[in-house]
Amino acid sequence: MDLKELFDHYNVSLDLKANNKDDILLELIGLLKLEEKAKEMLFKMLKKRENLGSTGIGKGFAIPHCRSLVVDKLNVAFGRHRQGVDFNSIDGKPAQFFFLIVAPPIEISNYYLPVLGKVAQFCKTPDIDSKLQKLGKVEDFLELINKA
Amino acid sequence: MKESQLRLLMFLQDLLCLKKEIQDFQVVEKYEEMGFALDKKERIEEAIKEVTEQLDPVLYQRFLRISKKYDRPLAPLKNGVCYGCFVSAPTGSKLVTQAKDVIEFCNYCGRIMYRIS
Repeated sequence: MDLKELFDHYNVSLDLKANNKDDILLELIGLLKLEEKAKEMLFKMLKKRENLGSTGIGKGFAIPHCRSLVVDKLNVAFGRHRQGVDFNSIDGKPAQFFFLIVAPPIEISNYYLPVLGKVAQFCKTPDIDSKLQKLGKVEDFLELINKA
Repeated sequence: MKESQLRLLMFLQDLLCLKKEIQDFQVVEKYEEMGFALDKKERIEEAIKEVTEQLDPVLYQRFLRISKKYDRPLAPLKNGVCYGCFVSAPTGSKLVTQAKDVIEFCNYCGRIMYRIS
């Protein structure tokens, strides 16, 4: 599955407002089309996953992810925070770019790990951080992800 | 607000799924290749304990019994069908007709059913 198939206008935000890790997670979850209760459960699950080791992979990127019963298909979201937020990243630097990935425990297509891998690879593309920083509108992000 | 027993069970199954994942050497290797740190894996036990302590003991025992038979004791109910065994739930089922947070067992396979919107 190509990353471009997963992103759309509704699940991309280039102007996250939150200023701490928890609020960033909540804002990202808010981009998914889920019920309130489901959002709460997903937040708790993402927090537990973060407790096992931060998903901040460094260089300004974080990829919070988990499997959860509250979704019935793979869900993703992207968010950018202009200044960056402390996400306990492995390099100790603030994270500015966030990819949220959530999948049900059983997926027939089993896209979860491959998509996670593709996103991680995308984050390692040379100069990708500066390109993401310069994005003016969601369409630019979609175009960038189309080329990935 | 007190969490419903069904939601606690769903959370427990998610945590057990995560535990299984981080115990799988190959999966952990993939995570590490991607750049994720899993340096506090032992914390999963605390999280599981925290949830099980809030569960009704009788319900938790039943969950454990179903777990012995099926890898995942909870199954989604979609369009009135249990997606564990693909048998229809009774039309009078509360889970089918109205409430989402009720504990109901599949009449056929015995799994605990939950509904996704």
